[in-house]
Amino acid sequence: MHLAYYVADNLRLHDPAGLARRTLRKPFPAHPARSQGGKDASLIRSRLCGVLIGLLWAISSAGAANAQNRGGVVTAGVEQDIAGFDPLVVGVYDTGQTATAALLFDTLTRIDDEGKVQPRLALSWSSTPNFKKWTFKLRPGVKFHDGTPFNAQAVVFNYERMLDPQNHCRCAFYLNAISNLNAPDDLTVVYHLRYPVVQLPALLSPPVVTNVFHSPKAVKEMGESYNRHPVGTGPFVLKSWQAGDRLVLERNPNYWAAGHPYLDQVVIRPLPNAVTRFASVLSGDVDIVWEDTSDNILKARKNPALRVREYVGSGVSAIVFNTLKPALSDVRVRQALRHAINMRGFAEGVTEGLRKPALDPYGPGSFVRCAEPGALHYDPAKASELLKSYGKPLKLKFMVTAEPRGRAIGQIFQEFWKNVGVAVTLDEVDQTTFVTKSFQRDFEVGGWRIIDLADPGPQMFADFHTGSAVNIAGYSNPEVDRLLEAARATSDEAVRSEDYCKIAQILNKEVPWIWTLQNAYFSIAKAQLMGVHKQYSDVLDVSDAWWEKK
Amino acid sequence: MLGLVGRKLVYLVPVVLAVTVLTFLVASLLPGDLAVAMLGDQATPENVAALHRKLGLDLPLWQQYLRWLSAVMVGDLGTSHRTGETVIHAIGGRLPVSLELMGLAEACALLIGVPFAVICAARRDSALDRTLSSGAFGMLSMPPYMLAILLVFVFSIRLGLLPSTGYTALSQGLVANMRSLALPAATLGLVEWPVLMRVLRADMIATLREEFIVAAKAKGLPRWRILLVHALKPSSLTLVTVTGLNLGRLLGGAVIIESIFALPGLGRLLVDSIYSRDFIVVQGVVLFIALGFVSVNFAVDMLYALLDPRIRHGRA
Repeated sequence: MHLAYYVADNLRLHDPAGLARRTLRKPFPAHPARSQGGKDASLIRSRLCGVLIGLLWAISSAGAANAQNRGGVVTAGVEQDIAGFDPLVVGVYDTGQTATAALLFDTLTRIDDEGKVQPRLALSWSSTPNFKKWTFKLRPGVKFHDGTPFNAQAVVFNYERMLDPQNHCRCAFYLNAISNLNAPDDLTVVYHLRYPVVQLPALLSPPVVTNVFHSPKAVKEMGESYNRHPVGTGPFVLKSWQAGDRLVLERNPNYWAAGHPYLDQVVIRPLPNAVTRFASVLSGDVDIVWEDTSDNILKARKNPALRVREYVGSGVSAIVFNTLKPALSDVRVRQALRHAINMRGFAEGVTEGLRKPALDPYGPGSFVRCAEPGALHYDPAKASELLKSYGKPLKLKFMVTAEPRGRAIGQIFQEFWKNVGVAVTLDEVDQTTFVTKSFQRDFEVGGWRIIDLADPGPQMFADFHTGSAVNIAGYSNPEVDRLLEAARATSDEAVRSEDYCKIAQILNKEVPWIWTLQNAYFSIAKAQLMGVHKQYSDVLDVSDAWWEKK
Repeated sequence: MLGLVGRKLVYLVPVVLAVTVLTFLVASLLPGDLAVAMLGDQATPENVAALHRKLGLDLPLWQQYLRWLSAVMVGDLGTSHRTGETVIHAIGGRLPVSLELMGLAEACALLIGVPFAVICAARRDSALDRTLSSGAFGMLSMPPYMLAILLVFVFSIRLGLLPSTGYTALSQGLVANMRSLALPAATLGLVEWPVLMRVLRADMIATLREEFIVAAKAKGLPRWRILLVHALKPSSLTLVTVTGLNLGRLLGGAVIIESIFALPGLGRLLVDSIYSRDFIVVQGVVLFIALGFVSVNFAVDMLYALLDPRIRHGRA
């Protein structure tokens, strides 16, 4: 489970985790009224359902395999160089690593293009009524690339390795919901959680560092060199790796999903420069690229030889006010700072309209839809009036990352606030310092982010519940606490959605955070490349891609 | 000659030591904490302190330096916390790419710069000289990244002749290898040739006024022979110096060019390591580059002696 809602990048970080999906109107595993007595029947129903869905997927896949062209190579360009895949070494996967992990590894579940949780390595799942114990039944007959079996012991091995304090894994932080796991038999894994997680199966779907499974044999035998020799169960096997240049992955001939994958080979190439990354697609050197540069995306949209895929996730970028600082503890000041910002202008200026202003913390990819979130609007006169009633001159420090993107965003907000008489200086720090100072609440104003998770619960709880270690705004409101606790204890989406909207209304009124832009993810590909999955959690997933024309 | 080599080597020792001190300090002064980078954002102070002790980061700076230096002396530059790879291995994997890129770029610069310089010196103040000199001035003003993008636009996107990004190893074929390096090497070379041309042109003009050139002309030697055999060699001292110094500039340029063209070279390793706070790799790569630069300049000093007998015999 990956609950990586804490890592910031000042409005655009590599997104280490999260899950962005369109809707989850009917959570697959859970039922609000399920009693302990009804658990067995529910478990059987759940298993049957899982098996049926698995069969249907296999049948539809086999059918689809007849329609899709087989063979060929896809070269995918990612932004960052790939450090490796061993959780103990790399700690967190960035966008390049998740794109590759989607090919090398499998997760227990997957989210289909309609936003539904589907089986992958797990065939079925069920939970106790309090959502603190989840049981997963695993797919039989799955093997790692080295021929060893994938089973419950392998799952437990992977988690225990990440959770072991002796291993100092950075990833352990993202597993704080997990108390422990056990394997009653070869094909059953039980997650014991510290607090309720209503949508655990969905949270386990993205191929982030804590959701993928490595061959225990390979990990033990290769030791330190395992990081660059990953062995998973995924549809592709690592053939070669030239550090900094490319990873070549070949079709896994023994893949458990019959007929998959369609491609013979995928080449992953880190292309750090945005201009030449786009040039590589135009010149035909690369078939698909992860992209976040608005200029490239807009140009690609006008090019009939290319296709831009867009996914608007379930999170948002944000500005956080440290409410423990004297000036920012006054709600009038925070409201004034929000009123001073022309968010529509900001969206146009920074992203050329590709990302929309956010009115609440739940992006369009979330199941939470708020009709009246009560967001404050751009009103400089109102801002000046509020600051006048506050009555003291206001000077603030805005902490940004010392890189062009962080600096540019800082300067824009600096100008907005200067227009209403607030003197803002930029505090430029490196990424590590940024995060450390944020968690220590050693800042006044900072950039942050709500990342795309299937369930807003864990993230909202961590960010806004009184006393939470990652409540970096130092915000406290008993009503918000009550709503957060209620919302994470039920699986009724209507009730939860209502609770989360009430929370958004309170937060919009009290403004401990300002929501800036909705999270949106893009890829640019040759028009003939089909079968690219939705970019959930910003994962460029070409595991089921195929060529329309070869 | 051996005496000269010995003397220069003795001078090299304090230089190398100074390089190690500066390298160590540069990496130590980078913002951020290695232990925090390794343990993650939520590391407890106790864990950070324990890792500080384990890595020796709690020791005074001079003790840390001595520990690091003693490891360096036996070839241990440490291990990347980001990849688990030893620094020596990482450098070994990236070095051939950078060397090849720099070699090709320098060759490209020399192939353009030297003939142009000879022509301009031979026809000083002619229309051709003025045109070439103006062209050189224009190229000097061109930032490498702009030139890179221009070349990609023309040769990759418009003409489709060369790949825009990526590297093909020599083991996969000479043609593919040259194609993959053509644009990056041309970018660096096209920015460098004007410097070489201007330096050599000025020196050759001075040499062509020397008495021995007048004597050569009086003997009726062909013009090309006077230029290429008698004038070029004694005019090359500054050229050799600048070429040596250029390697440092090229390496600086390679940091940008390798990122633009997605080449897996040393420059990109350095940039990636700085961004990911991989201090040990930064230290190792900077040290390696600095020592390489010192070695090249040592080799340039030795070349002087070969080119000018007065230096060899201690008379210059």
